[in-house]
This record gives sequence, C-alpha cells and structure tokens, in this order.
Amino acid sequence: MAKSKLRKTFVEPLGKNNPVFVQILGICSTLAVTNKVQNTMVMTLGVTFTTALSSWTISLLRNHIPSRIRMMVETMIIAAFVIIVDIVLKAFYPEMWKQLGPYVGLIITNCIIMGRVEAFALNNKPLPSLVDGFASGLGYTYVLLSIAVVRELLGSGSIWGIRILGSWWTNWSIMIMPPGGFFVLAIIIWVIRETVMKEESHA
Amino acid sequence: MSVQRSFYKDRIYPLIFMFVTTLLCILLTSGLHLLTLDRAEANELSFARRAILQAADLDFTNTTDGIERAYRTQIGEEAGFYTATGTFGTRYIIPLDGPGLWGTITIMVGLEEDLETFSGVAIVSQNETPGLGARIEESWFTDQFKGKRAPFIMVEEGTSSAPQEVDAITGATRTSEYFKNLTARVPGEAQRLIRGE
Repeated sequence: MAKSKLRKTFVEPLGKNNPVFVQILGICSTLAVTNKVQNTMVMTLGVTFTTALSSWTISLLRNHIPSRIRMMVETMIIAAFVIIVDIVLKAFYPEMWKQLGPYVGLIITNCIIMGRVEAFALNNKPLPSLVDGFASGLGYTYVLLSIAVVRELLGSGSIWGIRILGSWWTNWSIMIMPPGGFFVLAIIIWVIRETVMKEESHA
Repeated sequence: MSVQRSFYKDRIYPLIFMFVTTLLCILLTSGLHLLTLDRAEANELSFARRAILQAADLDFTNTTDGIERAYRTQIGEEAGFYTATGTFGTRYIIPLDGPGLWGTITIMVGLEEDLETFSGVAIVSQNETPGLGARIEESWFTDQFKGKRAPFIMVEEGTSSAPQEVDAITGATRTSEYFKNLTARVPGEAQRLIRGE
C-alpha cells in the first residue's frame, strides 16, 4: 500500500500532474534557458536538486514551523539550497557558471519549488516529500530538454553545442530568441494535451 | 497563564524560529563559500589569464595547468597592462571595461607594437543575453578583430568585407553596438596606459 502510494507520488508529476504542461508552472525559466541544451541541463539539475531537498527539509520541519511565517521560512530554505548550487557551480564548473550567469540565482523564484512545498511537503512525511520534489524536478527536466533540443536544433543547427545540420541550414534566429520559447512550449503543450492527455481522460 | 502562553506562541516563538532558521542557513552557505573560496578565486584568475593569452594570440592548451604554464613563460606584467614577447616581437595587452546591455563587459585587447593593430580580443566577463549577446564570447566573433584597427563598423552578420567592417551578431544589435564603442576606446586607452600620455 505504502509502496504503491509512493510510486503514484513519483509518477504523477511526470505525466498527468506535470508541473510544466499541466500546472503551467515555472514558465519563466522554461522560456529563458531553453535556447541551449547544455544550459537547460544544468538549470534543470539545479531545480531538481532544490525542489527535492527543500521539500524534504520543510517536511521535516512541518510540525514546528509557525504557520504565520511559513512562507518566509520556506523562501529562506529554498534560497539556501540555491546558493549552494551557485557556490558549487562557481567552484567546480566555472565555465558553466559563467554561461548561466544570473539564471542560477533565479531558481529561487521558480514557482514549482514553492508550489510543491506548499501543496505537498507541508502535509506529508519527509520521504514522500523528497520523492514528490524529485519527481516534479524530473517532470520539469524532460519537458525543458525536449523544448531545448527543438530550439537549439532549429535556431543554431546544433545540439549540445555540436553542429548537427550542415552548412546548408539557415539558422532560425527567432528560435533562440524569447518568442521561439513561446512557440515551442505552446506547440508541445498542445500536442501533449491533444494526444496523450485526451486518451487518458476518455479512459 | 493562557494569555502568556499565546503571547509566546504568537509572537516570541515565530521570532525565535525565524532567527534560528536564518542563522543556520547563513552558517551553511557562508561555510561552503569559505571552503570553496580558494578554488573560486583560482578560477577567476585562470579566466583572466586565459583572456590575456587569447588577446596576445598565443598558442596554449586550454587547461588550468596549460594556461598557467603559457602565462608564466610568455607574459610580462607591467603597471596596468601586460606584454607578450615571441617571434612576432612584442605585443601589448590592455584590460578594458565598459557598459553592455545588462552589465559591464570586461575585455582584454592585444595590440601590435604600433599600438593600433589588434592581435586579438578576449572576453573576461560579461552579462549579455545567453544565446544572443553572450555570443560575443564565441571565437568567430572575437577572431574578426585580429589584424584590424579600431574604429570598426558593425555590419549584418555574414556580410563584412572591407577592412574596417566586422560582423555584428544577429538578434544582439545593442550588444554589438556596445562592443563596437568599447573597442573604439582602445587606441586612446593604449596610449594612456602604455605610453603614459
């Protein structure tokens, strides 16, 4: 029983309760970082790490946090984890840190993290909260990576910085600019809702 | 009694809780910062040295050790600028910074002995838009300045032909303009720093 519940906690954010294409959360970063696969990867790893650990920490403290100041406590803990990501990147992956620049700090404002803490971690035990946070991070990760692959391929003719399309390819600059993010995200949401999600709701 | 209890619970406890949480978070992050400070500073220095080598258009292996070795053997440090000596004679490298679209752009510019012809340009730090303005770091962009003299004219990407012209970055017109203005200051700065005029 407990195991199947844990599995459900893990699977839901990947599919029918996906933070990006169902809950439409974390859109700012979805639009901002997905013009390069490499940046997207680091950003999503950072978000996954932060959602998982902040959900876990807050779940541990959930019976002690005074409800009036809970938002402040949550923000503080989330910010601490994001700063850890920033410091580790700066020390060990300086090239990546340089490229991502201000985006790492902006993980703090990702609504998915706060959303999972408020909606799940405050009312659940630490282990399920950790799983929920981690799975939400993964759900965010694969959607962003698919967007990034499309945008980088069409916009720069490459994936992970490696040239895929030959010199005949004319880069669609619009794809690496903000409007490209809106287009690809909208198309992906539409396709998933029209195909996968529709079948599920009929069944 | 009950009044006191609720005063503690409503006012004092949240205050203590927040204080302790904040303290713990600060201790954790500052501790980690101090632990990795040496590494972070070494990385910064390595970035700056790599930029100097690139601006002087020297060959080196792009690893921390490779940068260090090439820097030690070929670069001389002067007050406010750097020199590189080799078969090409002497090159002068000056640091320069100026406004970009979002923040300061810091570059290293290498100059031949005439103090006008560029031997190379390298970015030390910038905060331009990733994927657009941040492409000023890409080598196709910085390589364009080699062997040319400021001031430059920015033309549409892929169309430069005259010696004064360089390709701007599509989708980053403003960053390209800022970069052009920055490079336009090079001859003046070089005279000031190296000749002391």
